[in-house]
Amino acid sequence: MIFAKEETRFKILNLIPLLILFYIAFNGNSTISFKFITINIQYILVYYWTLRKPETLGYGFIFLAGVVNDVIFGLPLGINALTLLVIASVATYVRLVTVRITLINDWISFVPALILANFAYFVSLYFSNYNIDYYLLFLSSLFTFIFYPILWVIFSLIQQLMKS
Amino acid sequence: MNTDRDDFGIAVRSAFLDSGNKQKFSLFILILISIILIFIETIETKPINFFRSFIKDTIYHGSAVIATPGKALGNINNFFSKQINLYKNYDLLKKENEKLKSSFNKSKFLELENMQLRALINEQILPDKNLASARVMLDKQSPYLNSFILNMGSNKNIKNGMAVLNGTNFIGRIVNVNFFSSRVLLVSDFNSKIPVLIEPSASHAILSGHGKKKPSLEYLPENHKVQNGDKVYTSGKGGIFTPGMSIGEVIIEDNLIKVLLFSDLDQITFVNIKLENKNR
Repeated sequence: MIFAKEETRFKILNLIPLLILFYIAFNGNSTISFKFITINIQYILVYYWTLRKPETLGYGFIFLAGVVNDVIFGLPLGINALTLLVIASVATYVRLVTVRITLINDWISFVPALILANFAYFVSLYFSNYNIDYYLLFLSSLFTFIFYPILWVIFSLIQQLMKS
Repeated sequence: MNTDRDDFGIAVRSAFLDSGNKQKFSLFILILISIILIFIETIETKPINFFRSFIKDTIYHGSAVIATPGKALGNINNFFSKQINLYKNYDLLKKENEKLKSSFNKSKFLELENMQLRALINEQILPDKNLASARVMLDKQSPYLNSFILNMGSNKNIKNGMAVLNGTNFIGRIVNVNFFSSRVLLVSDFNSKIPVLIEPSASHAILSGHGKKKPSLEYLPENHKVQNGDKVYTSGKGGIFTPGMSIGEVIIEDNLIKVLLFSDLDQITFVNIKLENKNR
């Protein structure tokens, strides 16, 4: 009985990252804006969990969340899916080549993930004849990078809960 | 050196092609599908449009359900802030009402004169019965894109390019139509370029969105006499929209000619759609 209860609790806790991913995708809250500060929490979420506990966020779910994002924001289908998968790819690569994971390592390796994701975003928007404010995109990337440690701490706490 | 390159190759291959860690799909396959999807978006055929409409309608309705608790909280917050500002708003409205009363008779006279002049030049004036009212189903403003979803689509004869009004004020146009929903691209969006006319100087310009609340006026004539408070209307140039739909008034900030919209785009619940693009 106690074992079954523990197992259910473990399963629910494991679902948290996935639930957050889809909640923000369906709610259109992938970016939090406050005055000129814009943070893409979806990028951080995908990067952190693919790096730390890849079994909680399946690649298929990341793809689906990206498609939902595209539909909600009116972007051509596939653009956000591609950028999120690029983030997941870098995280997977970093996980394979690093042994010791620390906040600093995570934070530094998040830079190429952001650069590659923004490059994919830029190229796909260019070919889809879509205009966005690229200065805002740059600012968003910068603040996403700056705020990474805060979300890192929150996600680490969730991960601790999963372990306990 | 060679070993380093081999290690890199193995890591990349393993990251992209293996579907380990309880993953059902490999990253490579999903990235490929995403690229194919982006490519398919440029193709317009009936079966693909049908499939696209189905996916979009399903996601919009799912999103509307998920957003309900957040919306309810927002409404409660709005209710309390309205209550707090009640007396202040009452005073403002009282003053505004007095002003409007004095200008009412003048505008009635101008309206009559305008109708007589239009009759004189034989311009065909269609009644406003070709309007359809729709509810805003989803209002997801992103820093990059300003648009919202309406609960009407091809089932109510909504078509791409139709003008969308808040009351009588122009706020955007339809850019994407599904079976039961459609997307409005607001005038504040980066991709929105609307030909406009500025009164009383009668200058033509393009109203260009920048993702912010106040779009700006571009391509004004060199010696224009546009001033603060001038009114901005759709010009109807190119036959895209009916001419004369009010948009906002000119506000000059930091030497930039911007337009303060008559409608607050964050507070729109219902809109009118002009069922025909042209009024001629």
